[in-house]
Amino acid sequence: MSVTTGPRAVGRTTPAGAPLASPPGAAPPADLAAGLRRTANTTPGRLSIAMVGLVVLSLLTGVIGLISVSGRASTLDDLTNHREPVSAAAQQIYRSLSDADATAADAFLTSAVMPADLRSRYQTDIAQAGSALAVAATDSGGVTDATAPLSQLSTGIPVYTGLVERASANNALGYPIGSAYLREANNLMTTSLLPAAQHLYKIDTDRLVAAQDDATSFPWFATLLVVALLVALIIAQRFLRRRTNRVINVGLLVATIAVVVAMLWSATGLVLETVHVANGRSAGSDPGATLAQIRTKALQARTDEMLTLVARGGQDYNGQYQTLATEIGGEDGTGGLLGQVHAASSDDTMTNQIGASITAAKSWFGLHTQATKANGGGDYPTAVNITLGSGVKGSPNEAAAFDQVDTTLNQAIGQARIDFTNQTNAASGWLTALPIGVLVLLVLAAAGAAVGIWQRLREYR
Amino acid sequence: MKTRRIVPLVGIALLATLAAGCASTSGPVNLAIVNKVAPPVPGGIKIGKAAIPPAAAATPNCGDPTASLRPPAVMPTPGQMPTGSTMAKIQARGYLIAGVDQNTDLFGYRNPKDNTIEGFDIDMVHDVAQAIFGDPNKVVFKAITSAQRIPVLTGPNPAVDLVARTFTINCARLQQVAFSTVYFQASRQVLVPKTSTVQNFAQLGGKKVCATTGSDSLGQGQGQANAPIPVAVNDWSDCLVMLQQGEVDAVSTDNTILAGMETQDPNTKIVGPSIAPEPYGIAMPKADNDFVGFVNGVLQQIRTNGSWTASYGTWVQDKLGATPAPPPPAYEN
Repeated sequence: MSVTTGPRAVGRTTPAGAPLASPPGAAPPADLAAGLRRTANTTPGRLSIAMVGLVVLSLLTGVIGLISVSGRASTLDDLTNHREPVSAAAQQIYRSLSDADATAADAFLTSAVMPADLRSRYQTDIAQAGSALAVAATDSGGVTDATAPLSQLSTGIPVYTGLVERASANNALGYPIGSAYLREANNLMTTSLLPAAQHLYKIDTDRLVAAQDDATSFPWFATLLVVALLVALIIAQRFLRRRTNRVINVGLLVATIAVVVAMLWSATGLVLETVHVANGRSAGSDPGATLAQIRTKALQARTDEMLTLVARGGQDYNGQYQTLATEIGGEDGTGGLLGQVHAASSDDTMTNQIGASITAAKSWFGLHTQATKANGGGDYPTAVNITLGSGVKGSPNEAAAFDQVDTTLNQAIGQARIDFTNQTNAASGWLTALPIGVLVLLVLAAAGAAVGIWQRLREYR
Repeated sequence: MKTRRIVPLVGIALLATLAAGCASTSGPVNLAIVNKVAPPVPGGIKIGKAAIPPAAAATPNCGDPTASLRPPAVMPTPGQMPTGSTMAKIQARGYLIAGVDQNTDLFGYRNPKDNTIEGFDIDMVHDVAQAIFGDPNKVVFKAITSAQRIPVLTGPNPAVDLVARTFTINCARLQQVAFSTVYFQASRQVLVPKTSTVQNFAQLGGKKVCATTGSDSLGQGQGQANAPIPVAVNDWSDCLVMLQQGEVDAVSTDNTILAGMETQDPNTKIVGPSIAPEPYGIAMPKADNDFVGFVNGVLQQIRTNGSWTASYGTWVQDKLGATPAPPPPAYEN
């Protein structure tokens, strides 16, 4: 273990007794540190350390980069394959249940025996809620919060349908207790099932937003490693140039280029990915959430006007209706949430669909005013006919106007889903080859560094 | 940032190793077994203490509560109500507004077949409309709950002109509203499932007894040893729903309402002697003395012209037995 600076001497002594060669576990830490310090005082020693350091740092950066980018890619997959569909399914559950409840009330107002079209609509709603529940339930894993609303829904829906059937059996016999069963069913729906569906939707939407945040966060750790690696490569090259007077070390140059390419590629890929995810949010999931909110409010308002008629003045739901209508369309039907989402929409198809919703909403609100006026003036049958659209053909039909609102909103929600999925898939596209690319480039960098320094180190032998 | 992913990965790997090591201690996956489920209930239900209506602070003795105002000597011709009278205001509006029930079979219910509201109480309202307009159908029915009967008649702008909804006349209610003479004499009894061994109200101690919020039946037997557990709901039909679902043991109210329930469910029976007499009157705002007298005049007409007997025959005879004479009016002046 001579301390001479002569290259050959050290070259010979190092394999014999350098602590580097001894198994690290065997040497006491103090000896190891002292050995390293002695090695670091010699040029070949320093070169050896630099070589090992650069190779380790390159491989580490490659692995971290691989994990980081592929983690992000799997987050994106998760977004389009789990988070978004589950959140859309939760929204669908709410919509179907709410419509089933309104349809049951509607049928009750129409006649003793549920008319065929209403029965089929009610049955479709219940079936749709059930199948959307199956989709939503596939993904409650790991989120204990979601278990409660899911079990509330899956145990409550059969009870609800039982009550509705009992109501309609009694109704068919002309017994007023039928309406009592219907009210009990409505009570179950509004106090238990709809809040559970709303809760589930909120959980799923929050998870969607969290996943989006995850997919657009800045990769601090990987960035730090790359910058450190680049700095280390530059320092190594400067050191070699000073010691050897050779301007270019091909191995280290290749390593540097590989790292720079990896850095530029990741930076471009990640920036573009982030932009697409952000677009998917601003053009897809955000307007989708607002549209879902509008649809929910519209359904509540529709149920309120139905209940006003069922209650026959017993309970006033009209105040709730007015509040909801103002939230949906503002004072004149063009403002409110519909106006906001219309103004913010950047997709022409969606803008047109929302425009159609606004037109339909205006007509719905107008007809509601007519029906309220008829009811207030004592003309209950006309109020029922307008609200249910059960009058003669061509007479005012609020049900049709509301259905138009619901349909166009559903189309716009569908368009928002398409925009979200397209953008998120595009984001995913930028990450397709990146994980492997980064790994290959950094393995190349490790090899370059090893070969480059090894050439110089050989000269000391 | 993806350290967030690595850390859990390492954690999972460690846990997996640990779990493999002590797999024998973890049981099978929880199958979410349900042991108990809350039955569906009608909206606005109250059970126990919350169901008992606040005791009317020392109801003053009002003598005979069924004594009402004497009708005018000559009833005005329909369509020509005296100027300035309450009836003239109603006539000017074009329709009578009546607070009624749409859930009680026989007395006030919505017929699902054609959406009209029908029943004995409803017949009384049509008779009043006939006397004002000469047209029994100039009525707007507002379906109200039992608890809404007094609120819709009080305040500066009462929501309805009158309430005809199995409304028992008593001194406490007379403090807030005015009543017509008695148009129907009911009595309070108990409805139980046919399989029940209960034979009278006294045997309902500790059992759940249903009635509508604000109903006198809820206070019945309270404060005594072995009192029943009162359950309050919005409408009488909600009580039958609860009885059918096995969530209450009995319904306690007027035999008229119970008869309607028995009609809808042949698995129930009315038991026991009359617990209390329940004289029904049409309620009106306290200020409308002229209208009270007018309605009493209408009731007097239908007692004598066979219309009362016809209504009884249509709605109640099959359930409560042979038609009695209409309840005689009592007047305070």
